[in-house]
Amino acid sequence: MSLLRAQGITKHFGGVAAVDAFTFSVEEGEILGLIGPNGSGKTTLLNILSGFIRADAGRAWLGDEEVTGMATVALARRGLLRMFQMTRVFPRIPAFDNLLTAGLARGLSEREAETRARALLEELTLAPVRYLDAGQLSGGQRKLLEFGMCFIAPPRIALLDEPFAAVHPVMRETMATFIRRRNEQGHTFLVVSHDMPIVVDLCHRTVCMNAGKLIAAGPTREVLKHPAVIEAYLGSGSHA
Amino acid sequence: MSGERNLWSRRLRTDLRAALAIVAVLAVVPAFVSSPYWLGILIVSIYFALLALGWNLLAGFTGQFSLAPAAFAMLGAYATALLDYHWKMPLAIGVPAAIVGTALLGFVLGRIVLRLQGPYLALTTLSFAEIARVVIGNSHEFTRGDQGLNVPALLHSRVGYYYLFLAVLLAVLMALYFLMRGRAGRFWLAIRDDSTGAESRGIDVVRYKALAFALSCAICGLAGSLYGTFSQLVSPELGLLLQTGLVISMVVIGGMGTLTGPILGALLVYLSSEWLRSVGNIQLIVFSVLVIVFARFFRTGLWGIATGRRR
Repeated sequence: MSLLRAQGITKHFGGVAAVDAFTFSVEEGEILGLIGPNGSGKTTLLNILSGFIRADAGRAWLGDEEVTGMATVALARRGLLRMFQMTRVFPRIPAFDNLLTAGLARGLSEREAETRARALLEELTLAPVRYLDAGQLSGGQRKLLEFGMCFIAPPRIALLDEPFAAVHPVMRETMATFIRRRNEQGHTFLVVSHDMPIVVDLCHRTVCMNAGKLIAAGPTREVLKHPAVIEAYLGSGSHA
Repeated sequence: MSGERNLWSRRLRTDLRAALAIVAVLAVVPAFVSSPYWLGILIVSIYFALLALGWNLLAGFTGQFSLAPAAFAMLGAYATALLDYHWKMPLAIGVPAAIVGTALLGFVLGRIVLRLQGPYLALTTLSFAEIARVVIGNSHEFTRGDQGLNVPALLHSRVGYYYLFLAVLLAVLMALYFLMRGRAGRFWLAIRDDSTGAESRGIDVVRYKALAFALSCAICGLAGSLYGTFSQLVSPELGLLLQTGLVISMVVIGGMGTLTGPILGALLVYLSSEWLRSVGNIQLIVFSVLVIVFARFFRTGLWGIATGRRR
């Protein structure tokens, strides 16, 4: 069953179609990869799906409920959570308090949020820096912290925008392991990434967009061999 | 600051203890200071401490830089004064009405400026403050304009007023402490640090920003209302931008985003302002320079220096 479904999503900026009649779905319990060259519209699509911008046209459903045009906070409360390419942690409070705040925002009691925050800090290897302000953490540690903030109360679906970009390989593995483990527990992910080895390793299916349009969809290895995908990444004639 | 002591709940507890220590020191001051003049100066210092705490809730804890704290104090003072002047309402109604009225106005202003940040937010609140002051100053038939309005006294002893202001300061301080250690406080800090991030985690940014505006304005309105009954005269001068500048410098010098900083800053700035007045009316120059120095080199203010917390 589709957990997240988008139909004909369209967004123009001036005369440019950033997302052009995009239709796709994420099945419950899968990790779906969303790839495409820079400027292909991936982040705009995520911004629309997570309620940060409104689409010009198209509709979206989360489970059975239509969520077209719904505000970010309402979507977050329904369990659609977003991780950003540029991390969005709260820099002037400690890592532990970041997790606690995220837990409270998801409706947990303070005690429950504290218990889960401690467990997540251990799992994400952030326990040694738990008392440091989030602004003092490295870029990779902030990404891990944002994972924790997303998962302090399990989301129905997590939209991850370039989680592996500019991250140390050891931390990248920690993130990949975290995603894999959560997926084994039944959690659903939509992962935007340029890191093809990780996409191949993690994603059950992948969709590729270029110039706002869907150009390929299917099992990840097949999508990566698709002529339109190769052309989008490497230019025309590259598969000749 | 490092280790577990850096956790928000620990920081806040340490902060509260220091603020309570200042309040305790203030409580014994009348035992040593009997001069009505100096008691009056201390009462006005506490009035400014209330404004500073109110403004700090908005700017220091929630990251919303308003330029209207003095305007809300003026509106609170006028609410009480007008209810007495036109309808002979007792202060038992006039003071609570000032709190509720300014809270509602603050809530409305908060909704209007919801999407504004930085200089746009500051300019909008400044415009609101100036419009309010000019309207009050020019509504001669209703407000008596620049002549001001007389307000009946709530108490007849200066020491009584001193302890009334101190009790209100303590009540506001405790209310802010409990708010800041709870869900609302954590959400305000999140909004201050990154409102987009806060929204994406499920925090109702619209609601909590409006709530911060309402509470901050209510504190300023309460302070203004009490000040009106103390001075027994309210005039549009209460809402001068200069007064807001003074409040901002108190918070910046004392320490933004803390409980102790605004109280410490208000006492130091207002008391030294009295001293500097006698030296040669150079207080504005001195405070402006101090604000520049603190904003550039000691952004966590005196409380930040005292706790070793730098930014």
